[in-house]
Amino acid sequence: MTTTHDPAHGTVDHGDHTHGGTGGADPHAPIENTAGEPDYFDVLQQAIRELLVEKGLISADEVRAMVETLDAHRPALGSALVARAWTDPAFKERLLADGTAAIEEFGIDNYDGTKLIVLEQTPEVHNLVVCTLCSCYPRPVLGLPPDWYKSRPYRARAVREPRALLKEFGTEVPDGVTIRVHDSNANMRYLVLPMRPAGTEDMSEPELAALVTRDTMIGVTTPRLP
Amino acid sequence: MATKRDMVVRPAHDLGGLPAGPVVPSDHEMTPFEKSCHALLNVLAEHKLVNTEEKRRGVEDLGAQIIGELTYYERWAVSASRVLIEKGVITSEELGARMNEIRARLTEAAA
Amino acid sequence: MSTRFVEGQRVRIADRDAPGHVRTPVYVRGKEGRIERVLPRFLNPEREAYGVNEGTDVRLYRVRIEQSALWPDYDGPADDVLELEIYEHWLEPADHSPTEGA
Repeated sequence: MTTTHDPAHGTVDHGDHTHGGTGGADPHAPIENTAGEPDYFDVLQQAIRELLVEKGLISADEVRAMVETLDAHRPALGSALVARAWTDPAFKERLLADGTAAIEEFGIDNYDGTKLIVLEQTPEVHNLVVCTLCSCYPRPVLGLPPDWYKSRPYRARAVREPRALLKEFGTEVPDGVTIRVHDSNANMRYLVLPMRPAGTEDMSEPELAALVTRDTMIGVTTPRLP
Repeated sequence: MATKRDMVVRPAHDLGGLPAGPVVPSDHEMTPFEKSCHALLNVLAEHKLVNTEEKRRGVEDLGAQIIGELTYYERWAVSASRVLIEKGVITSEELGARMNEIRARLTEAAA
Repeated sequence: MSTRFVEGQRVRIADRDAPGHVRTPVYVRGKEGRIERVLPRFLNPEREAYGVNEGTDVRLYRVRIEQSALWPDYDGPADDVLELEIYEHWLEPADHSPTEGA
């Protein structure tokens, strides 16, 4: 994992957690486990699972099946969905009208039961999705969020200075284009429907899907021709 | 420096608008621990043993220092254990005993 | 079903600071915006967080807030906005404002 040091705030950001204080010189920084010793947190989660299975409150098969579900939900699902929307105007209309119904129609298992809103990028509006409180993310269509999405800099700055943040992702949004930042803070989940790039008229649906990266569906980048 | 009121009103998870450095486009493949932990918490939520809001509340209640130092799924594991103990689903005593058993098992297997 | 607020209505997000688990971020409290759309009812997360899993349904709304209303020093175009979900018990009608318009 990439790490960075942020001297302005004296923190070391590991993507999903941040060490406070003065970085490496912090006398209170925790000491990592000695090699070979079972990891405290892994032991903890195993113990919870075993106890609840023994009490008959959950089954080990359910947990195994959930691992498979998590593995099966990848950004490729979202890419295929966007490519379909680009090639089938009626489907796109249904997707924008009711995201949850449309992804189920497309065959995606909405396993976490959340409601999906699809946000269309247009020449006038650029949408950007963040969760400032935790890590809400459209998991059925995009899988699990990348570390940077859960990081302090992204969550803190997306709502405050979206244009500067987008520049760091190499995305220049002209002043004539409105930015709509969506703080995914409660029951809805958000998927960005990027604009189909010019010059892709002859591409097949799978070729189009290959242009649709995870980041374009969060709104931090836009699809590019290879 | 945050006031004492701020520390109560704005727990460490509420980050919108705070100063922060550049975004590092980092990611990593999920480790087996992370996958198991995620799957376990999803199952706990389905059975309402630890629903999503309880899990989040449990993480928030860890406090700024622990939130800052633990990784994402380490926080989930601790949160789940505390919520389950609080609700009387498991006791700290049986959890501690089981953790010792598991550690003994893992250490033996590694030897 | 009727709802307390309607699409386009100007609203103010309550400025409350009691302890407890809530899903209204600090940075929007006390700010004014407009109802972008009315959403279904959901369990109140402030009760769910303490194990209350039924009987607490509350209406959810999406609220659109101008960035300049959130951050006085916002340096982007005036049309830039933020949208987020707010539960009905965090919303108040904004004073002296029409429900029509931008």
